[in-house]
Amino acid sequence: MKVGVVGGGGFGRGIAMASARQDHDVRLHGRSARTIEGVRWTSSLGDLADRDLIFMAVPSHLCPELSFELGKHLDGRHMLVHVSRGLVGDDLQTLSQVLRQKTPCRRVGALAGPLDADALAEGKPAGVIVGSRFPEVAAAVRSAIGGPALRIYESRDVLGVEIASAMVGLLALALGYGSEYQAGPSATAVLLTRGIAEATRVMTSLGGKAETMTGLAGFGDLIAVASGDDRPEIRLGRALASGMSIEDAGREAGAHIEGVSIAKRVSRFAERVRIEAPIANAIASVLSGELAPGDAITELMARRVGKE
Amino acid sequence: MSYLKRLYEKPLRLPRLSPYVPDPNDPAIFWFNSERDQIVDEVAQRVATAATTREGMELALNDAAIHETRRLSKQRDQEAKDSLGYWRSLARRIGRMSDDEKREALLKTTSRMSRDIAGNFDSRVYKMSQSIVPRLLTGVMRPSKLPIAVRSGARSTAVDRLLTVEGNVERLRDLQKRGTLVYVPTHSSNLDSIVLGHALEQSGLSPVIYGAGKNLFTNPIISFFMHNLGAYRVDRRVKAALYKDVLKSYSQVMIERGYHSLFFPGGTRSRSGMIENRLKLGLAGSAVNAFANNQVKGVDRRVYFVPTTINYALVLEAETLVEDWLSDEGKARYIIEDDEFSRIDRWVAFFRKLTSLEAACIIRFGEPVDAFGNFIDDEGASVTPAGSSIDPAGYVMQNGKPNRDLAREAAYTRDLGEVLLDRYKKETVLMAQNVVAHVLFRRVVERTDGIDLFARLRLRGEVSMSREELRRTVGETRDRLLEMQDRGAVRVSPFVADATPDTLIDRSLRVWSGYHSRVAARDLGVEVTAEDPTLLLYYQNRLVPFAEDVAGAESIAAAREIGAMGVRR
Repeated sequence: MKVGVVGGGGFGRGIAMASARQDHDVRLHGRSARTIEGVRWTSSLGDLADRDLIFMAVPSHLCPELSFELGKHLDGRHMLVHVSRGLVGDDLQTLSQVLRQKTPCRRVGALAGPLDADALAEGKPAGVIVGSRFPEVAAAVRSAIGGPALRIYESRDVLGVEIASAMVGLLALALGYGSEYQAGPSATAVLLTRGIAEATRVMTSLGGKAETMTGLAGFGDLIAVASGDDRPEIRLGRALASGMSIEDAGREAGAHIEGVSIAKRVSRFAERVRIEAPIANAIASVLSGELAPGDAITELMARRVGKE
Repeated sequence: MSYLKRLYEKPLRLPRLSPYVPDPNDPAIFWFNSERDQIVDEVAQRVATAATTREGMELALNDAAIHETRRLSKQRDQEAKDSLGYWRSLARRIGRMSDDEKREALLKTTSRMSRDIAGNFDSRVYKMSQSIVPRLLTGVMRPSKLPIAVRSGARSTAVDRLLTVEGNVERLRDLQKRGTLVYVPTHSSNLDSIVLGHALEQSGLSPVIYGAGKNLFTNPIISFFMHNLGAYRVDRRVKAALYKDVLKSYSQVMIERGYHSLFFPGGTRSRSGMIENRLKLGLAGSAVNAFANNQVKGVDRRVYFVPTTINYALVLEAETLVEDWLSDEGKARYIIEDDEFSRIDRWVAFFRKLTSLEAACIIRFGEPVDAFGNFIDDEGASVTPAGSSIDPAGYVMQNGKPNRDLAREAAYTRDLGEVLLDRYKKETVLMAQNVVAHVLFRRVVERTDGIDLFARLRLRGEVSMSREELRRTVGETRDRLLEMQDRGAVRVSPFVADATPDTLIDRSLRVWSGYHSRVAARDLGVEVTAEDPTLLLYYQNRLVPFAEDVAGAESIAAAREIGAMGVRR
């Protein structure tokens, strides 16, 4: 199979390496040249036109423009899979929706779940989930990067997979935040359990299936967060809790973090469609400076306690 | 059995002494009768051979026999007398049948179903309907003019004034020669297929085939026209999986052969008055499959979907529909037998009411899309978001060759469904009644913060708005809608765009009074009262997706509450 990767960051390189290990013809598009064994580098998106399957491994805010450019070279035959954790715009569009809107491709999917770039690159045991309405996309991803150490599950609920993934990012931020305030196991459990309930509400009002939240893209990924995988969202949460500005916290956490603007947009969306989203609201208030870092916890704890 | 009953079971066809030879330029439908038997057989064959294993065949037969026996024993009519025996005997024999016998029984069953579904097309009836239907409708509206209208053969009738066709008519005239058109309109009234058929004829577009519920064939006159104009019969009471397969396959074979088609993706009429926000995609899927199947066979016949909106100032069956939506049984009742559509006095009252209006119905033929949701260029090729043209054949290819993949086509169909929902919003034409009802209903919501919908609907005549404020708010709402129209987010009727807010209000009040058994809103001079919130709700529901966008800052909370009614949960 001819595999293409857009994005030379950790994830893009990891996918390219995993795919090269399976002896596929791999081409990576990135801003600066990289030498990876078995992978050809290109700076021109047009060079990806002959690929069967292309992974988009770029931060979600770059995805609309970049996929539009890439789309100029593609047609109905190509398969496109993204690995971003973000949701775009005030309507919380998922990236598979963006791909369908900005490119002629329809066979699209999302790679999510407890996957880290290092495991991919080094072929350590891990599991991921690929969401796509098209069984052949899941099959292609399996063939492209699957190996003895990587279990690839699939779900038809691509929307659900993407929303779960984004909401877990948000909860990771909340968890990092809480840990700075010495949240113990009990408080952490409450935060994450109520977080799952909140994420499920957002999920269903956007058209995802509630069950997807209990799978690898939701619970699975969240357990990875709680088991202490060191992802940038957690670092960002900690930095914010210590009173840093968003800019400083972002620098501290490294990489571009989807969680920052998502909290605000989820909170606004929830208000619009009249669902409760206290955790997103609290994070959004801290980020916008309406709430002092220490007060978010107090505010959440002061909420009326009801039935589950 | 009465003669009329017989007509219901078997629609009347005109005898033909010599075979009809269509003109080579006629649309495919004119050739239908010569292909009819072939089509019926092909459909029956395809469905019968889809089950290949012994278990598959047995399951299909058992499922059909059980469902049909159950339905017919309840029905106790002529159909039951004719067919119950067949199904009972089949049910008894299935277990003992050899594989060959099963195959044969399957084919016999699918042939029966396919024959029952297939329509007829009689060019004489088509020509007759072109001149008669509008004149008869005119006659219903103005009985005194009937003799003149029929005698003079006048082509410009009251119907033509009532009905406005807008949108991409020119392009469709061209596209219908390049490929197969599949019209997919919104659905709010049983009048839809009749009005749309007339609109196609009036616009120089080819007639279409469509499935009509068997309940519509109960009126012998309508039945005669529908049957002879290519409508195929859909019996929604039949629950057998095999029957649904035959239906989809019939639609697929017809589209593969280039018959322009029509179906309502909403499934049934919108009970709430809302623009469709959920679709039944079975038949849309048959069109996607048809495209793929043709590609595999080496036939490059494009399929063009035409999202169409049918927008009424007054809906014939509004009261029954909205009651059905609000009542719990609404979910269970799929076929309404006893609505205004079946009562001739309601028709007369309805059309009388409409004669006082110009453009009581606006049909908008929206921007056509291919089977994968892409727009179409002037040559009929698919256009990418970046504006270049591509061959849609790529979508049904694997490893460089076209292939069939039902799971893939089903996924394309889901994607297409989302595109259609989006197009419906953008191509919906809002009428004065929708706008005025929305402003009044939003006021009801504002004044009754914190109570549920049903409690609100009981507040008959308790909430009013001063004429002055209503005028101002209708004006503001209209202005925001016009801005949205400029962005391509929605359409408004020319009347809404041009008339003064007072005229919009007066016209709406006039349309509402006198036809429905209840008055939606009442004019009390200095103020206007929301007399029947239920009817207002029905008419304002067209604006649900736009509620937040048309609201000023002071009404945003109520607007959100209205908007949330359209959110899928």
